[in-house]
Amino acid sequence: MLEETEKVIMPREQNIHESFIPDVNHRALIIVWSFFVFFVLTLGKYDFSGVLAYAAFPLFVVLAGNMPVKTILKRLVLLSPFIIMVAAANPFFDRRPFLSLGEITLTAGTVSGIVIVGKSFVLITAIITLSTIVPFHRLCDALRGFRVPEVFITQLLLLCRYSFLLVEEATALQKARSMRSFGGNGKEFFTTAKMIGSLLLRANERGERIYRGMLARGFNGTVHHAGAEPLRCKDVLFVAGSVMLFAGIRVIV
Amino acid sequence: MHMADALLSPAVGGVFWLASAGIIGYSSRKITEEKEQVSVKTPLMGVMGAFVFAAQMINFTIPGTGSSGHLGGGLILAAMLGPCRAFITLASVLVIQCLFFADGGLLALGCNIFNLAFFPAFIAYPFIYKVIAGKSLNSGRLAVASVTAAEAGLLMGAFSVVVQTSFSGISELPFGTFILFMMPIHFAIGIVEGLATWGVLQFVAKTQPVLLFDTGKASYPAMLITAFAVAAVALGGFISWFASSRPDGLEWATMKAAGIEELADAGDKIHRFTAEVQDKLAFFPDYSLGRVSERECPGAVAPVKLATTIAGTTGGVFAFLVVGALGLLLGKRKQSRKCWRKLKK
Repeated sequence: MLEETEKVIMPREQNIHESFIPDVNHRALIIVWSFFVFFVLTLGKYDFSGVLAYAAFPLFVVLAGNMPVKTILKRLVLLSPFIIMVAAANPFFDRRPFLSLGEITLTAGTVSGIVIVGKSFVLITAIITLSTIVPFHRLCDALRGFRVPEVFITQLLLLCRYSFLLVEEATALQKARSMRSFGGNGKEFFTTAKMIGSLLLRANERGERIYRGMLARGFNGTVHHAGAEPLRCKDVLFVAGSVMLFAGIRVIV
Repeated sequence: MHMADALLSPAVGGVFWLASAGIIGYSSRKITEEKEQVSVKTPLMGVMGAFVFAAQMINFTIPGTGSSGHLGGGLILAAMLGPCRAFITLASVLVIQCLFFADGGLLALGCNIFNLAFFPAFIAYPFIYKVIAGKSLNSGRLAVASVTAAEAGLLMGAFSVVVQTSFSGISELPFGTFILFMMPIHFAIGIVEGLATWGVLQFVAKTQPVLLFDTGKASYPAMLITAFAVAAVALGGFISWFASSRPDGLEWATMKAAGIEELADAGDKIHRFTAEVQDKLAFFPDYSLGRVSERECPGAVAPVKLATTIAGTTGGVFAFLVVGALGLLLGKRKQSRKCWRKLKK
């Protein structure tokens, strides 16, 4: 999955300057997306039309930004079993009649279950669009602007950098085991635990090598950076305009 | 066991966001205070976080079930890095999962950090694993410590998920039924997680035992105070839900003076319009938060007006289609501009 994400998200970073989104501070984008999440989550439990109206925002961003629709749809299909379980339980516990369509009566639980799934789709798409629009290092710069501790930001940057390397190593291990195992042999619990243990030791050694390399380049505990971009007047206007738009949707629908 | 945005009310999500942000701040301060270890362990934290991702790619067969599982890794991180660094590492893994894989959601991130990082790093490791295993490398003690601590961490996280979902009021599942459903599943998962953790820790204990010793001493009184502060914030948020349904002071005075609880509307058009806008924008109408009020579900007594519902849904679909078409047009225009620029070159 990580490899797939690398293919989808990373190349998009090159297109950021050609993005349809106006030249605004990334902090402003995070604030707008957070407001969007807030507006969607404060919709009524049975407000399906509201969910549909707010779905227009991520749909607009996906289509206007030429984002990979197929990949996003694939991610949406993989909805968490936890959400499905909770949404599927609602019709059993809330059987009050809600809407009559001829002879068919929809119960309140069915509608609230559909709304849960709808909200999940909208919010998952919104997060995918945010991570596609804002490159990860820019996101970390924006977090600096929100006064997130430097230790946490350095950790995020290092984690993002080394995830792809270690995942490659783990995939190679997994592939080597699969090529040598017949009928599930070698995939036993404790054999795999030893394999993961050796991956852990390798990761640790890699950590030490990286540390020495970073020391040689003047590392003193934090990654050097240019600092967070200040919020300009147009960023504030962008946030205010977006919030008014979201509020407008709430009033109209 | 990721909590999802769609199951959370903003109030519950907000409380756990604050709690998790507080613990991240506390842990970061603690790490920065360990001056001599800051630069040594920082790259290790990054690589160990990446290890959690990588380890989750390697599946193993779960004995007796035929299904497969993977390692969670929280306890291993705590055993190698200590509580504060393990917490920061796990929190960073959850941020990446939220942004790149859309696991959970932006609002649910606070809950997920609390459920999946706080319990293993700050409760299960120092109060269960360390107490049972100590500095011993005895296989039996490691096994008991790993299984018990992993089990406890996972069950506390699962319980927290149930509490958060129930307090949010989005799910109709009764608290008791939900607990009965979640706990046995997570108990079984906890055993598998504990055994896998034991397998890995035993391997490390045999090959490079020095890695398992936590040299950094966590100050437990301060940590306990943080835990209690977090609990107090969470409880404060939750208890306010049960605020008295009786009229407040002003309402009581109005009721006594006018004989009614709320003054009647003036009845003019502007008043009705503003009241309607306020009603639409009211995120917490009458402090009902996620709980269902009669106003939200008028059909609870009688079916709602079909015409109104269809009109509302049509409006939603219309907005969805129009804005979608606009996006498509803008995207196409951008693409054609790109092609034009390429041709010009």
